[in-house]
Amino acid sequence: DSHTQYERVGADVTMKCGSMDWDAAVTWTANGTDIDESHLNGSYLILKNVDLSQSGQYSCYEGSSWHLKYQTNLRVGTPPKEPVLMCRSNNYPKGFYCSWHLPTPTYIPNSFNISVIHGTKDMVCEKDAVPKNRCHIRYLQLFSTVKYKVTLTVTNALGKNFTTLTFDEFAIVKPDPPESVVAKPVPNNPRRLEVSWQNPSSWPDPESFPLKFFLRYRPLILDQWQHVELSDGTSHTITDAYAGKEYIIQVAAKDNDIGTWSDWSVAVHATPWTEEPKHLTTEAQITETTSASTSSFMAPPTTKICDKGAVVGSGAMAVCWTAGLVVAAYSVLFI
Amino acid sequence: MAAAEGPSAALRRRDLCSRGIRLAGKMRADVVDLLDAYVEQQGLDASASVAAVEGVPVAAVERWDEQTGTQRLLENLAAYRAFRALLAQMLEEQREQLGEADAGLGRALAAVLLQVSAFAYHLEELLRLESRGIPGEEGDGPPPPPRLSLFEQKLRGLGVLRELAQWAVRSARDLRQLGKPSSAAGAAPGLAESP
Repeated sequence: DSHTQYERVGADVTMKCGSMDWDAAVTWTANGTDIDESHLNGSYLILKNVDLSQSGQYSCYEGSSWHLKYQTNLRVGTPPKEPVLMCRSNNYPKGFYCSWHLPTPTYIPNSFNISVIHGTKDMVCEKDAVPKNRCHIRYLQLFSTVKYKVTLTVTNALGKNFTTLTFDEFAIVKPDPPESVVAKPVPNNPRRLEVSWQNPSSWPDPESFPLKFFLRYRPLILDQWQHVELSDGTSHTITDAYAGKEYIIQVAAKDNDIGTWSDWSVAVHATPWTEEPKHLTTEAQITETTSASTSSFMAPPTTKICDKGAVVGSGAMAVCWTAGLVVAAYSVLFI
Repeated sequence: MAAAEGPSAALRRRDLCSRGIRLAGKMRADVVDLLDAYVEQQGLDASASVAAVEGVPVAAVERWDEQTGTQRLLENLAAYRAFRALLAQMLEEQREQLGEADAGLGRALAAVLLQVSAFAYHLEELLRLESRGIPGEEGDGPPPPPRLSLFEQKLRGLGVLRELAQWAVRSARDLRQLGKPSSAAGAAPGLAESP
């Protein structure tokens, strides 16, 4: 008869050839390959300090008749370590989801059981078809101060482990990043970039549960970001871009009142509008323009550190420069 | 039921709702600060679970999205009237316990009490706009609860402030629902669309 046998990495495994006597003549194979007699003790197969590579199908045949007397599928693995559990509401106020994974693989099948308790009430976390390690719950109550307690237990043939998360309704609210971020130059404005985006599609009711946004941008040639927080609207005009420099821009979202900021959106790139270079035809003009000229970039006017008077777009807070930003001087050759 | 409202009433309602949302936001921020100070001053564990205390309005609600505008206003008003009395009691107990030793906490409590009173009045204004009668406050009310021990007072205070912080968030949401152009006091707002 054939069955599956689970053993821990490092264990010593003894396999009996079914009901055969100890002194019977037998042949053992592993995945169809004969096993050397040095691994036998009588008719018993001895595997010491097993490792993962020794997983496979082991078969025992009676010596002369080659009748199959025993077969087992050996699976070498480990008991589960404490699982990693995360719960989050990206669709507030509809509900939340929890997802989990094991920090290290066990190499054998695991089953997961999740329980959710709100006060004294058991709630059912419905498992998602895809991905498999995730389940979701609909909120039955809103604005509760009573915490949720989620316990995840993972079990396999070699052991079990569990972890528990306790949180309140507001703490796990974290929207998905804004979608469809677009940044465009503004014609005839060499210092401006128009940025727009949309609420994440997973956020069910932005009208009743409005999001606020955080925009960050920098020229590719610099490391430090500038940030703008926007309490409403899904667009913003950057007015202090360096002329002609390519920018990288990202946006994050947060519920107006509760929870934490989303991850940053996918980055978009844009370069402010620049005037088309004029074509010069006279020799004098060519001579004039072949010598390098230096121009230094001016710091954008009226922008001071956290100057609350610098309003950029409706509902925006002040643009804050990080201290110590050094404006580089560039040599620009105009053709 | 509210009569069909003219454009000026609708504008007034949206204006009151907008201001109410701002009031609720400021109130919540101050309550959260007060909660931190209270926990520290009273030597409490911020993560302690506090069982629901009698007389403290619980913000938790089922089927919140199905409530009518009138329900929202009435529940909010009842809550903030209760908080007004509870905070006044806390202030009194604070003064008895500490006298002038912690005037800062007393001032913060008084400031929140003022905001709660202002918010209750704001809700009454909204109810008047809905042509709803304002429920009378229970003058004599139920007899005062038995005197609690000092520790029980502290725990109740923690419960009061926590629920008030939740209510402040709920109130902002309620007023947003109420301030929607499609919203009328007697009608249940539409359920949020699934994405």
